[in-house]
Amino acid sequence: MRIELRDMHKHYGSIKANNGINLTVEEGTIHGILGENGAGKSTLMKVLAGYIPKTGGEIIIDDKIQDYHTPADASRRGIGMLYQEPLDYPPLTVLENFMIGQAGGVSNKTLRFREKLEDLIRHFNFTIDPDVRVKQLTVGERQQLEMLRLLSLGIEVLILDEPTTGISDLQKEALFNSLRRLASEGKSVILVSHKLKDSEALCDRVTVLREGEVTGSMEKPYDANELLSMMFGEPPLPSTRSPVEYGGTVLSMKNISGLGERTGLSRCTIDVREGEMIGLAGLEGSGQGVFLRIAAGITKPTDGSLSFFGEDMSGKNLHAFKKAGVVFLPASRLEEGLMPDLSIQEHFALKEGGSSFFVKWDEARSESREKTEKFRVKGTPDTIAEALSGGNQQRLMLSLLSKESTLLLLEQPTRGLDVESTNWVWWHLSKYCLRKTAVIFSSTDLDEIMSIADRILVFFDGTIIKDVKRDKTDTKELAKAIAGKV
Amino acid sequence: MQESNGINTSVSRRDNAIARFSRDLVITVLVVVSFTTLIIVLAGAPPLAAYYHIFKGSLGSWVKLGHVIRVWIPLTLCTCGLLYTFRIGLWNIGVEGQVIMGAVFTTYVLRFGMDGRMANFFLIAAFTAGVAGGALWALIAGYLKTKGGVNEIFAGLGLNFVAQGIILWLIFGPWKRAGIASMSGTELLPRELWLSYVSTIRLSPLGLSLALCAIIVTAIMLRYTKIGLCLKALGSNPNAAHIFDLNTRLYMLLAMVFAGGFAGLAGSMQVTGVYHRLIPAISSNYGYLALLVAMLSNYNVWIGPVVAFFFACLNVGSIQLPMMLQMDSSLSGVIQGALVLAALAVHAWRIRARRIAEETWY
Amino acid sequence: MKRKITLLLCVFCFLFSLAIVQSGYAAAADKPFTFGLLLVGPYNDHGYSQAHYEGGEYVERTIPGTKMIYIDKVNPADRPGITIPQLVDDMVEKGAELIIANSDDMKDGIREAARMHPETDFIHISGDDVITGMAPKNLANLFGRMEYGKMMAGFVAAMTSQTGKIGYLGPLVNDETRRLASSCYLGARYAWETVLKKDPADLKFQVTWIGFWFNIPGVTADPTQVAQNFFNSGYDVVISGIDTTEAVVVANQKIKEGKEAWAIPYDYVGACEGASAVCLGVPYFNWGPGYVSFIKKSMAGTFASEWLWLSPDWKDINNIDTSTIGFARGGALSAESGIALSAFISDLGAGKLNLFTGPLFYQDGSVYLKKGAVATDKEIWYMKQLLKGMSGQSSAK
Repeated sequence: MRIELRDMHKHYGSIKANNGINLTVEEGTIHGILGENGAGKSTLMKVLAGYIPKTGGEIIIDDKIQDYHTPADASRRGIGMLYQEPLDYPPLTVLENFMIGQAGGVSNKTLRFREKLEDLIRHFNFTIDPDVRVKQLTVGERQQLEMLRLLSLGIEVLILDEPTTGISDLQKEALFNSLRRLASEGKSVILVSHKLKDSEALCDRVTVLREGEVTGSMEKPYDANELLSMMFGEPPLPSTRSPVEYGGTVLSMKNISGLGERTGLSRCTIDVREGEMIGLAGLEGSGQGVFLRIAAGITKPTDGSLSFFGEDMSGKNLHAFKKAGVVFLPASRLEEGLMPDLSIQEHFALKEGGSSFFVKWDEARSESREKTEKFRVKGTPDTIAEALSGGNQQRLMLSLLSKESTLLLLEQPTRGLDVESTNWVWWHLSKYCLRKTAVIFSSTDLDEIMSIADRILVFFDGTIIKDVKRDKTDTKELAKAIAGKV
Repeated sequence: MQESNGINTSVSRRDNAIARFSRDLVITVLVVVSFTTLIIVLAGAPPLAAYYHIFKGSLGSWVKLGHVIRVWIPLTLCTCGLLYTFRIGLWNIGVEGQVIMGAVFTTYVLRFGMDGRMANFFLIAAFTAGVAGGALWALIAGYLKTKGGVNEIFAGLGLNFVAQGIILWLIFGPWKRAGIASMSGTELLPRELWLSYVSTIRLSPLGLSLALCAIIVTAIMLRYTKIGLCLKALGSNPNAAHIFDLNTRLYMLLAMVFAGGFAGLAGSMQVTGVYHRLIPAISSNYGYLALLVAMLSNYNVWIGPVVAFFFACLNVGSIQLPMMLQMDSSLSGVIQGALVLAALAVHAWRIRARRIAEETWY
Repeated sequence: MKRKITLLLCVFCFLFSLAIVQSGYAAAADKPFTFGLLLVGPYNDHGYSQAHYEGGEYVERTIPGTKMIYIDKVNPADRPGITIPQLVDDMVEKGAELIIANSDDMKDGIREAARMHPETDFIHISGDDVITGMAPKNLANLFGRMEYGKMMAGFVAAMTSQTGKIGYLGPLVNDETRRLASSCYLGARYAWETVLKKDPADLKFQVTWIGFWFNIPGVTADPTQVAQNFFNSGYDVVISGIDTTEAVVVANQKIKEGKEAWAIPYDYVGACEGASAVCLGVPYFNWGPGYVSFIKKSMAGTFASEWLWLSPDWKDINNIDTSTIGFARGGALSAESGIALSAFISDLGAGKLNLFTGPLFYQDGSVYLKKGAVATDKEIWYMKQLLKGMSGQSSAK
């Protein structure tokens, strides 16, 4: 199927998310849509997928102008989209999710669908188990499931929105192979991404958006510098980091075990010192999340002991962890980190704490003004968190951190951020290390860990399989450890 | 464009919110009116006359306005209370039982003052007890929610039944009139224990000022205090409580206490200001109605009382339908029900439309 | 734009309609004497409230230039949030010069309303504010001597019963209901012992209270259930003391199941309609004559606070123009019992027979009337317990 978008417009009030976009996707190709956060990529794709109505323009499918208004209409016309956040039903099993929207009538067709699903899983070399509940899957696996479901509905054009965000390299490889396979079978794939590398590796052609408009397009082979200048106007600077002297022990874990994710965490013993920057590597869902949440006092360990500055924290509540200066920033900012309906100013008022009965709105307002400027959050004190883009949400979260923090626990702090935002985040966090704050972060990007962390913990199947200084290891060794080989 | 994004968004959001609300209000009223018109026509009555009678029956004279305000006071109190629980995302459906328990506690205290002496002392004590009774009842639901993980809707519904059971038992049993066992209520309070009112317009200035105070206090609490801010934050995302070191359970209980306290106050008003005794239907369904009022007013503390006033007018005015148009009297109940349904339908549609319209983009 | 136009049209239509209704009002205003009726149940309940409603219609027919306005289901369960003073305010505004409140539980409300509207006359049916001195000058009490009707009901029940077990479906417990249940018992006992000459020990008279004048689901006991229980446990006649017709309905079901069952409804002359197979008759109120006397006084400006307790017209208890209490015979009443009933009525009317004659004892054994003593009106009105020989509660638990 050939898709042509003509003069597409999508306006939110005075804001033009898409402003006259022209785009053609040929049959049997993988087409990349590149652009930084807020460039209008997702908006364009959601319009194409029938999820939001367009303000103007035409969608032409195989030379016929089509008008549709719901995702169901779109999928009847062969267009399906894989969203950034999976749209599935976590309490149900993989098979049940797969059947949703397909199994009509009253007769039980479970067996037939099981066969169909297992065939598809084999066809694409995926690894998901039909009988596992979706809430136990990683983001990457949920993505695989959603993709199979769409394909079984007869999708001819598959749209993927930042599919490599939050998934492991192995899963990424499986995904890319399956997409190439789809293209070779004559289906069209549209890949929305801000990651140059992904697009370079996969796409036959890329179109670059900036501020709601097309700034250029390019076919293989790509000129990275030119693409970057189309995306940003000018290429961003790489991050730098100066060496830090470590202080005393901040966090000490002895034989800590805990429940969560699929693997849980078992018998983890480490010491973390002031000023250390520790990267957590490993397949997503190998225990990093549990580790961070136990260290933050959110999840209670089932076994072992944990202390801050020598003080035993077992049996202490979250408040005690807070008081000790522990801060945790989760990966899903809107789900666990920010208050979506609250304005920036309200976030600062909330942070203020204190014992006064009334909120000091003046102070909160001036502080939010000051901090948003300092942290380059693009919004006014009255902008609500939900309306901010991912990068701005992350910067807002960082701006809420107290300077007196002793331990920062960050779960995938640069997930979904463009290069510029990522660099800024690391620059900012490195300042914490200079103040003797210990920083622990997880990431699915091994290169990022290698370039940022001083010390690397590799998680495999719920245990720390490797604990090594950055300058004593290399990517190859780490990759092996991630796969379980030490 | 990036730079101006945030600013424009917030400004246009606010403009949109007002425009959207007025538009929704018009649509709600239109749907409600056409739906009820249909029902009235089906019942064989002239719809325009019906509306006219409802209007005239509720706002046609000062006395009628006084009766509307009598209904408006407890309805507004309950609505104000519910704003706290809705803020934090709790469905305090137990508000009905909280009104009842407020009335029960009030009556309990007043029974010690049946000789009419020290009336002011007893009235103040009774109102305090009413607030405490409602708050206590709400606290039970809150406790079940925070400690036992029982959904507050089920806990609330259960407690409503229990409260209804208690009031029936009291009226038919321990608090019955001497020699009488009737569901028609307990002994009439002595006049000294009636809430004073201006008899020419049937209006209790104290009740009115209590309701107005409730609105202002609620507005201040929600807008200007830490408690209000924390309730809003937790309602927006309880999972982020850890970031700001907020004690979710504490605030849930606090919200329940506020809701129950205001509902209990409504119960006290019903006993001292309206029925002057305890009757089985003392709550007059104002709790359930207030849930609706809060939702229809988009949880806004200033719009709430306006919507409550509309429902109070309907409550008082619809009595004209059987009286003036000989419409089968159960029909006024059907119309009220239809109204509620139509309003809910528009509400659901509005939420759906908003969800689509507010899709953010990257 | 389209919406705006529609909206504008709607507003115009609405305003226009107001104008029409308004002018209609002005034209009809040649000032009849308006009286208001507050009915506790539905105006068409085939029971207590319908009897009042028809009494009001009788007034409209009998006294030219009178007009009734009414509001039914005046109870907090049916109309949450509504109060008696509010309804009275409304009726007065509509021009009512006399207002009748038909239920015992409106006592407090109507007294309060009467104080607020000294220019308007009020009648509280079944109340005693005039006796107790609590009534303001513009409030009168009216009731009928239903004891006689109830005695007749008890009489035919005992004449008919095969098992000797009579069930009384009681409303709430107060002086009035104790009085009426006891009257039934006296009538039944007279038939059983004096007419049929049966063993007093074989007569069982059970009173079960539901808690209000009619069923309020979830609040009162369910009268249908109570009647079922009666019939299922050997009672073959159920006398209703409540405002609605559940006893008759259940009896009808029972004879369809092949059981012997009879019922005696209450309040309304037409309550036996459609149930001639089970209905022994109905003691009923005929409010017309009572209403007429008060309304004539009110029109003439001679209304006074009085306590009026009207007797049947013994010449013809079913005379609609004169008798406040009547007994309409039902299809299931045997000819033989009918003859006995006629004799019973004529004895009562002639004063040969007064069932409220001692010795009579309360349930707890204390003396109600000494041997040979005849009860005064007040002694009958304020009946403190059920009589000895009846089972069931005399007051609440």
